[in-house]
Amino acid sequence: MTEEKWTVKFVIFRKKGDQPPRYDSYVLEVDPDEYVIDGVERIWAFHDRSLIFAHACHHSTCGACGMRVNDVEKLTCITKIRDVTTNGGSLKIEPLRNFPIIGDLVVDMTRMYAAMDRVHAKAVHPLSAAPLEGEGIRPPKDVPRNNGDEYLRLADCIECGLCISACPVAGTAENYLGPAVLAAAQLQGLKHNPDLLDLVDCADGLWRCHSAYECTAVCPSNVDPGWRIMDLRRQVVGERIKRWFVKA
Amino acid sequence: MSKLHAIVIGAGFTGVAIAHDLALRGFAVTVVERGPIVNGTSGRTHGLLHSGARYAVNDQESAIECIQENQILRLIVPDAIEPNGGLFIGITDEDMAYREKFIEGCAACRIPIKELTPQEALRLEPNLNPKLQTAFTVPDGTFDPLRLALAFAASAKSNGAVFHLYTDVVDLLTDGQGNIVGVKAWDRATDKRFEIRGDIVVNATGAWVGHITSMAGISVPITPTPGVMVAYDQRLTQRAINLLNKPGDGDIVLPQRRMMVVGTTSFTIEDPDYVPVYEDHVQLMIERGSNLIPALRQTKERGAYMATRPLIGASAPGRSISRTFKAYDHKETDNVEGLVTITGGKATTLRLMAEKTVDLICKKFNLNIPCTTAETPLLSYRKFYVN
Amino acid sequence: MDTPKKPNTRGILDWFDPRGRNVGGWGFIINRLSAIGLTVYLYLHLYMLGKLAQGPEAFDAFIETAKQPAIMFGEMLVIIAGLYHGLNGLRIALNSFGIAVPAQRQLLYGVVGITLIGTVVFGVRMLTAH
Ligand SMILES: Cc1cc2nc3c(=O)[nH]c(=O)nc-3n(C[C@H](O)[C@H](O)[C@H](O)COP(=O)(O)OP(=O)(O)OC[C@H]3O[C@@H](n4cnc5c(N)ncnc54)[C@H](O)[C@@H]3O)c2cc1C
Ligand code: SF4
Repeated sequence: MTEEKWTVKFVIFRKKGDQPPRYDSYVLEVDPDEYVIDGVERIWAFHDRSLIFAHACHHSTCGACGMRVNDVEKLTCITKIRDVTTNGGSLKIEPLRNFPIIGDLVVDMTRMYAAMDRVHAKAVHPLSAAPLEGEGIRPPKDVPRNNGDEYLRLADCIECGLCISACPVAGTAENYLGPAVLAAAQLQGLKHNPDLLDLVDCADGLWRCHSAYECTAVCPSNVDPGWRIMDLRRQVVGERIKRWFVKA
Repeated sequence: MSKLHAIVIGAGFTGVAIAHDLALRGFAVTVVERGPIVNGTSGRTHGLLHSGARYAVNDQESAIECIQENQILRLIVPDAIEPNGGLFIGITDEDMAYREKFIEGCAACRIPIKELTPQEALRLEPNLNPKLQTAFTVPDGTFDPLRLALAFAASAKSNGAVFHLYTDVVDLLTDGQGNIVGVKAWDRATDKRFEIRGDIVVNATGAWVGHITSMAGISVPITPTPGVMVAYDQRLTQRAINLLNKPGDGDIVLPQRRMMVVGTTSFTIEDPDYVPVYEDHVQLMIERGSNLIPALRQTKERGAYMATRPLIGASAPGRSISRTFKAYDHKETDNVEGLVTITGGKATTLRLMAEKTVDLICKKFNLNIPCTTAETPLLSYRKFYVN
Repeated sequence: MDTPKKPNTRGILDWFDPRGRNVGGWGFIINRLSAIGLTVYLYLHLYMLGKLAQGPEAFDAFIETAKQPAIMFGEMLVIIAGLYHGLNGLRIALNSFGIAVPAQRQLLYGVVGITLIGTVVFGVRMLTAH
């Protein structure tokens, strides 16, 4: 961070109950290396106490603070102001798409949580099932075991819903499971979880995907759901062929 | 007999754990929180599931509470904890001078530790400072703050608790004689104002408890004491890494998902509503953190944030039910019936704080219902959203 | 808070909103547009075939109009849409077998490239044929 100061206009989506939505503007002096959520929280603290927004951990482990920043889905706690606007520029902040709006910048993500629940998405993985491919300084397969037990690690997917908001078909297919959910199914693998097959192999499952790859473009947490959906298709086709032979 | 109705203000760790305990013991519970779940300090904690070893020398009461609660939470919270343990590492001779006291303290508090040679430690965690002289394993863990709280909230909800999120308590309702009989609330999602009446109001607003008590004309002298934490973009260890020395700034580095998080600092402020993240604190974190794990220096910053401890002055009036956190029955301290305030403690001890607070509330109503939260597994955090 | 509400979406309009979208998103938008274009064309085509059945006069009149530049431009669009949609279909089919997903962007550039080349070839042939 520097002593640098920028003037940025925050244009914030506002909606209360059944009232029609509107946009409110607030001009803030910011440090360009601050994160977008810091600006939003300051608007609440010093300008308008009626504003509501979701957030919790402020370091990308909880996935609560997803918003649309200048039309792109961002996890606002790790998005530096410098990376999304300029000095004297503006930041349009809107709630995520494809979820119902509770008010202002807050959406109801039940759709995603319920679907994650249906595929029994794991919140905590053994390190080997969710490896840190290419990331850590030592390759994970060399990591010795913890007194014989496997290490456990919180899943990469933080259930932020950015992928569902960025997905162009999630808006017209309310029951579409969505990228994060299909990615969670892929991670578990159909071979070991045959009950997932019928759940994902249906019109509102992985065949709804129309390959825009926007999920992967916005995912802040290394999940790459676009690739996982495609890989799940491969698994489904393989599994169906196998069953066909087994039955015959 | 209809259920007693408890109103809990604040859905931080303290509030959700109390809501869960109250609901289990048969209360009708309404939680009023001005933001989302863990809007305040709780959301932004460092995320260390303390083994207690950090306090084993200077604050053994805390240390014992931590190790006991640590073991309970591992069992009852299924899906918010990385239970991989931790290490205390000694690097300088000054650190080594702390070694004896540390071993004694941990033994006194029954915290299982094991000393490793530097080679053994480096084999387990190759990214540690290679200059380390000794290392101890401890049963630390890491947690996801939102999901930890949601697990309690989900369980409370399944037992009938009602959550009003994005709803400020703007005033307390009194019976005309100064006793508290409910709250005035402002739902900011719909911009509606309403009143909630209850048999008891529990003020679990952390660094903000003084704002709520002042609505009843009671002052609780709070000094908000924030600390800064910085997250880095790579997972460099599997365990939480602590400095073997008395607690200080930037002496804990812990892994979480794909990150490392360094914390923390401590300074005092006036108003906890908004605290900026100061640049010099961020610098301090990278310096102290890279003393433990040198590779942090080559790692990109991912996020920087702060949270505020509610420090209550030693001169604060009233009797406290525990030294490690404060709970007041304002009937006893200020002759105001219907209001209980609880603050302080740690994330790791949230269940215990709730147990003691709800014990106190039950006693007020002459109820003899035992606490069962230690034996009751919590629901998955997702059940907060999915009924 | 608990009342079920409609999701925040403009429905079909959101398919075509290119703001903030990436290469893959553009690929999707063009894919949808070409699909709709081809569907409309299919119905026009069936209508024309219907004319054919009405006798030679009607058909000759249609061939006259078909030689107008606007209609020829329309035919070019059909060729572009057909090429793009078909090739992109191959790209997605390939991806759906788990093949070359990380290269989806490069594949899309390839699809667009071949579409452009094909368009030029057809354009030249069409102009020289008349
Ligand atoms: C920097 C730092 C690091 C820490 N790290 C750790 C750690 O690693 N491990 C650990 O075990 N503990 C840690 N702790 C301690 C732990 O985070 C706290 O003890 C705990 O979060 C306190 O929770 P709380 O519910 O009491 O307060 P809070 O989480 O602050 O909850 C209070 C709630 O009340 C709400 N509220 C306030 N006013 C109103 C109103 N008028 N109406 C309605 N709602 C209102 C707020 O929005 C807030 O959500 C750390 C603390 C700090 C400061
Ligand atoms: S897949 Fe990525 S974008 Fe989607 S919810 Fe999970 S972390 Fe967020």
